[in-house]
Amino acid sequence: TPSSRGLSPINRTVLLVGIAVLLAALVLAVVLASVLTHGERGGVAPKMLKWKDRGTTKNLQEVILGRCYSYVMARYPELGDKDCLKIWESLKHAFIYKDPCNITSEDYQPLMELASHPIPCNKSLFWSKTYDLVHRYTKSNQNFLTLEDTLLGYMADRVSWCGDPSAPGINYESCPKRSECESNPSSVFWKMASKMFAEAACGVVQVMLNGSIEAGAFRNSSIFGSVEIFNLNPDKVSAVHIWVMHDIGGPQSESCSGHSIKRLTSILEERNFKITCEDNYRPVQLLQCVYNPDHTDCRLCTNTTANP
Amino acid sequence: MKSLFLSLVVVSVLFMNSFSEVQGKKWKGEGTTKNLESIVIGRCYNYIRIVNPAVGEKNCSEIWEAFKNAFINKDPCSILPKDYELVINLSLHTIPPNKSLFWENNQLLVKSFADRGRRYMSLGDTLFGFFGDFLNWCGQANSAGLDYESCPTMEECENNAVDSFWRMASITYAQHSSGVIHVLLNGSAVGGAYPAPGFFADYEIPNLQKDKISKIVIWVVDDIEGPDIESCGTHTVKILENRLKTLGYDVTCTDNYKSVMFLLCLDYPDDSKCTLSSSAPAAQRGPISSDRGGSWNKLLFVSFLGFLFRFALVY
Repeated sequence: TPSSRGLSPINRTVLLVGIAVLLAALVLAVVLASVLTHGERGGVAPKMLKWKDRGTTKNLQEVILGRCYSYVMARYPELGDKDCLKIWESLKHAFIYKDPCNITSEDYQPLMELASHPIPCNKSLFWSKTYDLVHRYTKSNQNFLTLEDTLLGYMADRVSWCGDPSAPGINYESCPKRSECESNPSSVFWKMASKMFAEAACGVVQVMLNGSIEAGAFRNSSIFGSVEIFNLNPDKVSAVHIWVMHDIGGPQSESCSGHSIKRLTSILEERNFKITCEDNYRPVQLLQCVYNPDHTDCRLCTNTTANP
Repeated sequence: MKSLFLSLVVVSVLFMNSFSEVQGKKWKGEGTTKNLESIVIGRCYNYIRIVNPAVGEKNCSEIWEAFKNAFINKDPCSILPKDYELVINLSLHTIPPNKSLFWENNQLLVKSFADRGRRYMSLGDTLFGFFGDFLNWCGQANSAGLDYESCPTMEECENNAVDSFWRMASITYAQHSSGVIHVLLNGSAVGGAYPAPGFFADYEIPNLQKDKISKIVIWVVDDIEGPDIESCGTHTVKILENRLKTLGYDVTCTDNYKSVMFLLCLDYPDDSKCTLSSSAPAAQRGPISSDRGGSWNKLLFVSFLGFLFRFALVY
């Protein structure tokens, strides 16, 4: 019979083994728990890819929808048939859950078709390296339309988007730059939209180039030089008017007689367009003078005194 | 006879009443803008994400709800500026000093001149002005819906949804303006450059905070081809200058401020008022390659022919 005073050697061993097993189980549980939770904190789903450019604009859906309805209401009520919800959906499906380095023009085809609209002749205004000036001009004067004044360009201007294969399918942190991969959602979009804008142009078209930049007013690598000029339709477009603008008080690196303009002219003439060129197209220069009213280049002929 | 005539009148009046009701349009003004909610919310996010991210985070859905609740389910002729207090407070943000631009009778010009808030921040460049600009809206009594058919005009009733909104917005805009204040007036306007009654006269001037304002600069600009009805120191402009001086402000006034003139000149580049002294003659424009090349070639060819001819003669 077991002694009533303390445990027998066998029982003690069993007890010790039992405690050891319990401790081991405890340690194992702690280790497992920390591994699992660490894994959880690290991200349930595979992490989104990191890129160098800014991510998708927050509240993209609301912004796009609002712009679509605003545009239809304010600019072209005759476009009343545009279904903005459908347009948004087609934009979303072009990039959501997709690898942002593998976007194709087929992805955007439905959107392009839904959002395109006819453009009046003689109003198309192309541009290269003159973003601020050209858009200030078209906002102040309704005679011309840039791509960003059409529904498609209006919705997408200054907004960015890209997807990712992992949930939620949209990357709000970062998006690929062109240098990281060419087939990114933004580059493909603007290339296609520019192509369509050029194809839709008719009559006389205009282009505003920057004669104050060192790299030259016309560059083959720009969207204008690589996409738009080659998609103008010679059966619809009769002439191209080039405006070479210089910054007020800025360098006159190039003008109508410059090398790159000659290159542009020969490309266009080969396709049977009539070309004219004007340095510092007056209405646009007047706009530049709004911001430099006291510069010598902005002196008015009539010497009106400020106060009687 | 008389009773027949009377009954005819009564019947025709009743008929006309029911007829106009059948016609549908309760009010004389345009109805609520279609897709108002999407436009307001979209513009709100457009503003805080892209146009002016410096204003920080705003809850645009909350802003829409507060906006809507100001005028729905009420008699559309009983909406007061203070009904919009909540939405204005939710969408309020700092207006940078020296950037306020007040105006009368030149809304589109001001929009261009302010350059999307970069040069100046007019009321239309603030968040609350931005989401309501160029839109129309009204509700109806005993219904949560917006009236898309028609809305009351100012003439039909003063306390309509749209005018009350702009009153509240103007009051708030003036209250939060500081530094150098600018006012752009139209010297060609028929009712006078400084209309009274008017938003600037009745809702903005009384709400300017004198201790925050250093100077008031008035610009009176005529339309390029318009009459020079008023200028600084004359008619209503004089009234305005005196009023502001009496209130204790440091006031200056300039006629046809050049920067604004240039903007007006965009539509009239050939007008004598718009000619730049540095302008190259119009002959500069023209085909650049074929013509020039052509005349040189012609000259060479003719000289060559002449040379040949002489050579032939000599020979």
